Amino acid sequence: MAHQASGMSDDDMAALQKLSDDFQPEISGPLVGQREPSTAITAEYASADPVFQAKTASLPQKYSHYRKMRGDGKCGWRAIAFGYFEALIHFGNENKFVEEEARLRSLHNVVNNAGYSPYLYEDFADAVFDILRKLSVSLQIGNAEELLLESFNDETEQNYVITYFKTLTCSWMKAREGDYAPWLPGQSVTAFVDSQVMPIGSEIENVSMSALKDVLLSPASIQLEVLYLDRTDGVEPNMHRFDPQNSAHPIIGSIRLLYRPGHYDIVYKTEDVPQSTTSVQTYLQYHNETHNEPVMDLGMSDFMTMIPGMSYAGPQQSWLPGAGYGYSDYLASPPASMPALVESPELQSRTQSMYIPTPRTQMVPPSDEMPQDMDIRSDHHEETQPHFSGQSQTSPFRSSYYQFEPGFVSATSHVPFKTAIFKNSHFNTAHFLNPDFQPEEWRPEDEPMLMTNHSKGGRHNSFG
Amino acid sequence: MSGNKRIMKEFADIQKDPPPGCIIKLLNEEDMNVWDVVMDGPADSPYTGGKFTVQVTLPKEYPFKPPVLSFRTKVYHPNVTNDERGAMCLGMLKADEWKPPNKIAEVLRLVRAVLAAPQPDDAVESGIAEQFKNDNKSYEKVAKEWTAKYAK
Repeated sequence: MAHQASGMSDDDMAALQKLSDDFQPEISGPLVGQREPSTAITAEYASADPVFQAKTASLPQKYSHYRKMRGDGKCGWRAIAFGYFEALIHFGNENKFVEEEARLRSLHNVVNNAGYSPYLYEDFADAVFDILRKLSVSLQIGNAEELLLESFNDETEQNYVITYFKTLTCSWMKAREGDYAPWLPGQSVTAFVDSQVMPIGSEIENVSMSALKDVLLSPASIQLEVLYLDRTDGVEPNMHRFDPQNSAHPIIGSIRLLYRPGHYDIVYKTEDVPQSTTSVQTYLQYHNETHNEPVMDLGMSDFMTMIPGMSYAGPQQSWLPGAGYGYSDYLASPPASMPALVESPELQSRTQSMYIPTPRTQMVPPSDEMPQDMDIRSDHHEETQPHFSGQSQTSPFRSSYYQFEPGFVSATSHVPFKTAIFKNSHFNTAHFLNPDFQPEEWRPEDEPMLMTNHSKGGRHNSFG
Repeated sequence: MSGNKRIMKEFADIQKDPPPGCIIKLLNEEDMNVWDVVMDGPADSPYTGGKFTVQVTLPKEYPFKPPVLSFRTKVYHPNVTNDERGAMCLGMLKADEWKPPNKIAEVLRLVRAVLAAPQPDDAVESGIAEQFKNDNKSYEKVAKEWTAKYAK
């Protein structure tokens, strides 16, 4: 007995068994549920034994959402079938649906050779082709996911789909007996498919799942992962990835299943979920973290060189201590900062900057969803207040290279420039990279014009 | 709806090529889901010479639920219930073991094969099964009598 081997008392075993028994897959409810945040699974196991608690607690970090399958003994077939269509939708290419229909049709030779009569399986096949066509059309309208959910919650329609995929699986296994026979000791592939795949009440198991993946998913470049949530040691569910045979081709999507003994649900990573349901706001980044910010890794410096006047600015950014204006600030949308520009001519005239930075407090659009960042922002606000009274060393405006040299004197004048592009480039003698660097002079009579420039240059100003 | 399409196809098919010893009609022309089958007792069995009426009821979920078979003719057999229902218990007709690509014609072939060769280990009438195993002569005698009496 297994429990004797693991050194557990019968009482312990009984207690654990009870917990295990307590997990009841939904036998009512929709056949395929809505996508929900996976924190619901964590909550479900909050009072389970520690291994399950730890594993389910770590789940939402990697897999943000899940979709419940009805636990009626067909959930594995259903989850993969649903995931297949969903991956095609997520890929978003109408031609792929046409391709898939053609590919599946071409498999019918294999199905015929396996001994299934076309007049019986064509009904099952047609149901799948109907869905493929329906989804291809609805891709443009944008309601593909609802349609799929609707189809899968029609029990008859779903039965057709599952039966077709079972038929393909059986045919494939019979055609490649050598690949699967070693996994089926003591029985022939034919006996196995007849007794354990094709019957209406047969749930998917490892060999049939592998065969379904081989015939349906891999050729469509869809990857299959299964997370096993069980009582083995560890703090995360064990993940098994069925590698696509066809690894030369890029993957167009992934189906991720969460397996709890006897039951499959679908889980999703954030990237599998359509954008509308996520709220990641990468532009809310501050201070030193600027250097670690993910956008830096995405070839941001190349992007920087495309901005007039920015060609040398990037590398110098990082050595400036406390340079609070990051790339992300640059990306922030200017409208929120406009009022500040109107209010602050006096301030700008007092500082050395020839570019017109905006106080950072106005650079970031307010966000209701991230209260922590709101706090951080208000901290900055207080910290940067002093510069408003003219302390240039703690200026909110990014310091120039020359500002750090001995004898640096704040510029007291401005030279108006015709365009923001020229003004910001090193061809401007007022640019610190210009060999003939000559700080701008400020003249009160230029003030109105400067204001015009300010608003035009607003987007670029933090990179002076 | 699509279930009906399948049933219609199967019905057309079975009319063209009926399983041996079977005549298949609709019990009621309006209803595709109830088939009336008249089956000849298999040769070399106590049922020879008898004509057995079997009603095949196809659930509306067909082919995702198995057909239900019922002997309308009383038959003395270990695998057929000796009651009003006359149910024959075949593994392939269990809800969980039913395979959607199975055809009714195959089911009828199997019914006839079981009629010819009872499966006492899978019996629904354990008394008849015991007799079949331990006192085959008496079993054959009763089965013949019932065939002569009911299956004319």
